[in-house]
Amino acid sequence: MTRQRRTPQSTGAERARAAPGGFRAAPAVAMLVTSTALGVAAFVSLEPSVPERDVTERPIQVEGDGYVSSTACQACHPAEYESWYGSYHRTMTQVATPETVRADFDGVQVANAHGRPMALERDGEEFWAEFDDPGWEGPPADRPRIRRQVVMITGSHHQNIYWYATGHDRGLNVLPGVYLLEEQQWAERSAVVLHPPGQSLAMLDGHWNAICIVCHTTQGKTAFDTPYRSEPFDQQTVDTTVAEFGIACESCHGPAQAHVEANRSPLRRYGLHVSGDGDPSIVLPTRLDPQRSSQVCGQCHSVWEFYDQQGERVANAAGLPYRPGDELRDTRFIAQPSVDRTSPEMVAFLENDPDFVRGSFWPDGMIRVSGREYNGLIDSPCFRDATDPDRTLSCFSCHTMHKDPRDGRTVATWADTHQVSTDMDGNEACLQCHEPIRADVSAHTRHGVGSSGSSCYNCHMPYTSYGLLKTIRSHTISSPTATETAELGRPNACNLCHLDKTLGWTADRLQDWYATPVPALGDDDRTVAASLLWLLKGDAGLRALAAQSMGWAPAQATSGTSWMVPHLGEALDDPYEAVRFIAAASLRTLPASATLQFDFAGPRQSRIDAAVGLLRAWRASSSARARRDPELLVDENGELRLDAMRRLREGRDQRPLFLRE
Amino acid sequence: MTSKTKATVDYTRRHLRFGWWSLLGFLSLGFVLELLHGFKAGLYLDVSNETRRLMWTLAHAHGALLGLIHILYALCLRQVAGMDARNQSPVSWALIGASILLPGGFFAGGVQFYDGDPGLGIVLVPVGAACLVIGVFLVARAVGSAAPGTGRAGTSPRR
Repeated sequence: MTRQRRTPQSTGAERARAAPGGFRAAPAVAMLVTSTALGVAAFVSLEPSVPERDVTERPIQVEGDGYVSSTACQACHPAEYESWYGSYHRTMTQVATPETVRADFDGVQVANAHGRPMALERDGEEFWAEFDDPGWEGPPADRPRIRRQVVMITGSHHQNIYWYATGHDRGLNVLPGVYLLEEQQWAERSAVVLHPPGQSLAMLDGHWNAICIVCHTTQGKTAFDTPYRSEPFDQQTVDTTVAEFGIACESCHGPAQAHVEANRSPLRRYGLHVSGDGDPSIVLPTRLDPQRSSQVCGQCHSVWEFYDQQGERVANAAGLPYRPGDELRDTRFIAQPSVDRTSPEMVAFLENDPDFVRGSFWPDGMIRVSGREYNGLIDSPCFRDATDPDRTLSCFSCHTMHKDPRDGRTVATWADTHQVSTDMDGNEACLQCHEPIRADVSAHTRHGVGSSGSSCYNCHMPYTSYGLLKTIRSHTISSPTATETAELGRPNACNLCHLDKTLGWTADRLQDWYATPVPALGDDDRTVAASLLWLLKGDAGLRALAAQSMGWAPAQATSGTSWMVPHLGEALDDPYEAVRFIAAASLRTLPASATLQFDFAGPRQSRIDAAVGLLRAWRASSSARARRDPELLVDENGELRLDAMRRLREGRDQRPLFLRE
Repeated sequence: MTSKTKATVDYTRRHLRFGWWSLLGFLSLGFVLELLHGFKAGLYLDVSNETRRLMWTLAHAHGALLGLIHILYALCLRQVAGMDARNQSPVSWALIGASILLPGGFFAGGVQFYDGDPGLGIVLVPVGAACLVIGVFLVARAVGSAAPGTGRAGTSPRR
């Protein structure tokens, strides 16, 4: 009678004790089923993404040829990955997504678009544009509209250049408008390059696939079935692929598959760690000699061409043959007009493009456009004439591709300051080799300690290169002379800061201080400030440099600013949009015109009105006209010497100029 | 019988004491790591120190969990009948070795390291892991072979 009978009312614990083993596992099974169901639900609710291989309307990323992409590098090199990830190298080319597109596409009309306004539209994750067909060859009035999806972006620092899917294979073409990031403004494609006004730009169908890909991606393969431009684009087959969009790890370190596989072995890794030996399975550019290490940068930062069409066809199918550590000139021709104007390759260059030298170089062969700094380096005596590898200038003497962990700057700041190495943004960059000058820098510079005139950069790397609607420092290390200005037309460093002084003044100072020969100078060189001669008489490139220097703080502090307003105001009506853009930017740095409202691509009358308004305000201000130096084209009454200005403008170098930045 | 009981009590006390002190030590390490987070210490949080952060986090987690294992082991000695205290010496030393080598190796591996690879101190970790596996295996075997029922080892009532 004491034996209990199991009843339907028995407790759960009793049931559990009584049940066989499988039943006791029920709670665990329930939890397993629940967690599995939750996992499946989470997976199913993910946004479906199209595998890259299935994308058909644009170039795609594929692994191969030993390239494994930056994701393979991240795990072992987190710090290097982080600083590369924050650099503009990574974002040089991006697929258009809501995260990467910086312009507003939500129902926006863009007036400046080489024709009727361009209509932008966002459809979920997609970006679309409707605009006049750039390929139309019939009567302008019949030019049809086309609507295309924006799929790729070039640039993320100063500009977003948007590429649309042409609908023909993986071929891309460029939108007629470019988005300026800092100004948050659209501009016509022709307006963002220094390009002759009224001269139509080349049609760019397939341009990204054939040209941009070379330097803006990692291991790009153009994959045209016939040479680019050898027949109509829409009759060519285009199957463009890249290892990775943007300039990624393997652009500078070479394909990494062998490195990744070799270093799966911890014994190998720790052997290298402990011994301190370099890893032969990967290229570390900083361990190369200065020539080879700089060529890693020079593979993109140079003016180059294939030696022949066979070379182009090989690269078209298999990607560029150059690998970091190789001799760059083995597989491509580096244009260096400072020492070579007669080689067959250079002659071919010039036959194909007679304005080639003028569009990229100063008359003596010094590079004058941005993005080609390797050309500047190889013409620099610190590189060209150096015999000691430890004292040879290279790109890595001043720049670093990965921020030093001890560098207190943020990655963003480091990237925004041209990836200059720690402490290399000042005189240390030069003094690391030119040690004797360190003891008394002023004795060398003849300028005050710590002043802008005692900056090595300002005298030996002045702002004489142009690109991306601004000037950049020359990367040819040189010393200022009056000759370079008088005979070559290139601004000298002295007058880029002493904007209110004549070239004659500079020539005399340089002769007194450094026994620099004085060239033959004209009357204007002795009587008119050099900056005004550049602004009034120079070609468009020179005018851009002069306008920009008037917005440069050290030059403003040295030369004063009140006299600049009417001259920069006149530049607001320059025929070249790029010059107008820069002049307006410089005017906005001046107190008298800080709030200038000006559309550099607007109608001419609005530009004239803006210039006249500035001139009137300047004339109405006695303090603004305080400087009455004849060199500044202001007479003793504080009036502009309009006759002299007119005469100088009539002598302007009017030759069309397209700077191939 | 007396010596057997005494030895069992010693192991129990040894591992209770080791476990709690170990727990205190490694929870304190966790507190220090939280402070490093709180004050955004670059030596711990910078991406260039990611390996250190991982290693020290692993040291904290392994040390604290191993402290719990010591306590659990001590409770097993006390509660599971039939665990022969005379055979616990290898288990005890294996668990203590694991508690020193595993978190110690991780910690040392984070003090000095090579980019994505921990420093040479990491070689202690697999040795510690082996100690832990051996110790846990021996405990599992001892528990499995112990007589059913509960009570202090060697003293629990048998049916």
